[in-house]
Amino acid sequence: MSADSTALEGEYEALIQFLYLAPVGLVQIGLDGQIAMMNPIAAQLLMPLSRDGSLDNLFVALENVAPELRCLAGNHEQPTGNICDGLHMHLNAGGAKRGPQILSLTLLKLDASRAMAVISDVTEQVRRERRLRQNEAWFNAILTGVTDYALVSLDLQGRICEFNASIGRVTGFGSEVVGQPYAVFYPEDAITREQQHDRLREADANGWTLDEGRRLRADGSTFWGSALIAPLPDRDPLPGDDGATPAYCLILRDISDQRAQHERRRDAAHVDHLTGLANRRALFEAAQLELGRSRVHPRPTALVVFDADHFKGVNDRHGHAGGDAVLRHLAEIMQGSLREVDLAARVGGEEFAVLLPSTGLERACAVAERLRASVAGAAASFDGHPIGCTVSAGVAVDLDGSASIDQLLRQADQALYAAKREGRNRVASVPPNPLKAPPQENNDAA
Amino acid sequence: MISTSVAFDAPDLAAHLDQSSAEQLDALDFGVIGFGPDTLVHRYNAFESQAAGLSPQRVLEQPLFTNVAPCLNNFMVAQRFEDAQDDNTALDTTVDYVLTLRMRPVKVALRLLANPGGATRYVLVQRQPR
Repeated sequence: MSADSTALEGEYEALIQFLYLAPVGLVQIGLDGQIAMMNPIAAQLLMPLSRDGSLDNLFVALENVAPELRCLAGNHEQPTGNICDGLHMHLNAGGAKRGPQILSLTLLKLDASRAMAVISDVTEQVRRERRLRQNEAWFNAILTGVTDYALVSLDLQGRICEFNASIGRVTGFGSEVVGQPYAVFYPEDAITREQQHDRLREADANGWTLDEGRRLRADGSTFWGSALIAPLPDRDPLPGDDGATPAYCLILRDISDQRAQHERRRDAAHVDHLTGLANRRALFEAAQLELGRSRVHPRPTALVVFDADHFKGVNDRHGHAGGDAVLRHLAEIMQGSLREVDLAARVGGEEFAVLLPSTGLERACAVAERLRASVAGAAASFDGHPIGCTVSAGVAVDLDGSASIDQLLRQADQALYAAKREGRNRVASVPPNPLKAPPQENNDAA
Repeated sequence: MISTSVAFDAPDLAAHLDQSSAEQLDALDFGVIGFGPDTLVHRYNAFESQAAGLSPQRVLEQPLFTNVAPCLNNFMVAQRFEDAQDDNTALDTTVDYVLTLRMRPVKVALRLLANPGGATRYVLVQRQPR
């Protein structure tokens, strides 16, 4: 062997090893997702998502965590450039499971037939960013120059103790609010009774609790508010004192001017681009919060998963655009018939999930049945033609926060499969207890 | 040459490999990566070297799951070895997997072998017909 070819071979081997050891996943694909080349980290991250032990197509491998990819790639009209940049894909909610929870994907179109993907595990990075955002909410509450605030004293049960002028200025309410729960400042259905108490308990445990969201004025209009609740000292009533004793102070501020920024950030990270519903990430975050709270103060939490029946047939007959119209139609029906405190999310290609706080099995089944009937009774419209569609639903309920969202999803999925087996266009449920962790399966990371 | 005929799915394969010489491992028609409890690779046969495009000197004494085969560093492979070590149990299981040999995705069967107290754990690699 000549010295030249030996040197070349050494170079080649060094390059191969460079790619083997690169600490990010690199994949070259066709625009249909077919994988041509990939490095080991890509296989490390993608294999747990593969359902059949193969990695032939990137879009298929990621179908359950980023259903929009094929559509994004297909709709990219420029000859080259980023198809997506740092798209976050939520694999699971963590908990007992080890390994990545959030992957970031950047897809660069090289030409009419090829694209390069960069995949990395950003679980830790996202966690850090979330902590930063919480700090920012803190600053909004305390430091930002806001014109006015309402100072409200609450008793141990969270009822308003007394009226003062600041309440009138910010919310327009008068003295009729005295004795009412502080939920009077929330739009209807935006906070459950249990969640009201959770916030008081959190204030007790941490010294304060803070949230931002839509708040209600007396005239029915809403504003974007920041609400800080802190416990007060000397909260036990004095002997002979018949009035309510203030136990907490609530500081309510109108921060509507910061809302646009808040909403934009929420949208990018928490919203499914096709339907406008929450995405998997938003569902996992909301469910973890609610289940964590029900561990402290037990109450039932229901999860309903919906799956469009014979959806592949819809795509075959009407094309992907027709399929998309059906998915948007389903999302509209869901959004239109849920409480504000409920959360509807798109969790897979044609699969949706609805989180129902403080809701037991019977009511969850009733909600599922109502949605099923609404879908069966109203066709989607595409290109002026109606497309009829039905959904099957699976209902699972956690009674006391002992289940993780991953377990709850799996149970609801099992009920969903039962509904499919029994003939579709129906609701099935699993009995709520006992909840115990099913054995870990091989390919259940999705 | 006693070991040329040994099959990928032969029973008690770890004991057999322990006793095989480097030349005997090189004669096998499947990949053999042997590593210690510290995950450092100390056996790497010709079949695997050829398939991966890496000569043994780039691989030997390197940690398997970070520097040699990062694609195996997840709950499907690396954690099985960790669990077997933690529980002090034997591991002998075969999983379907995709390796990225010279950056080409290749469907393989992996046989994972570990014995409590054994000096060498093995990842064996057999190519699957596509």
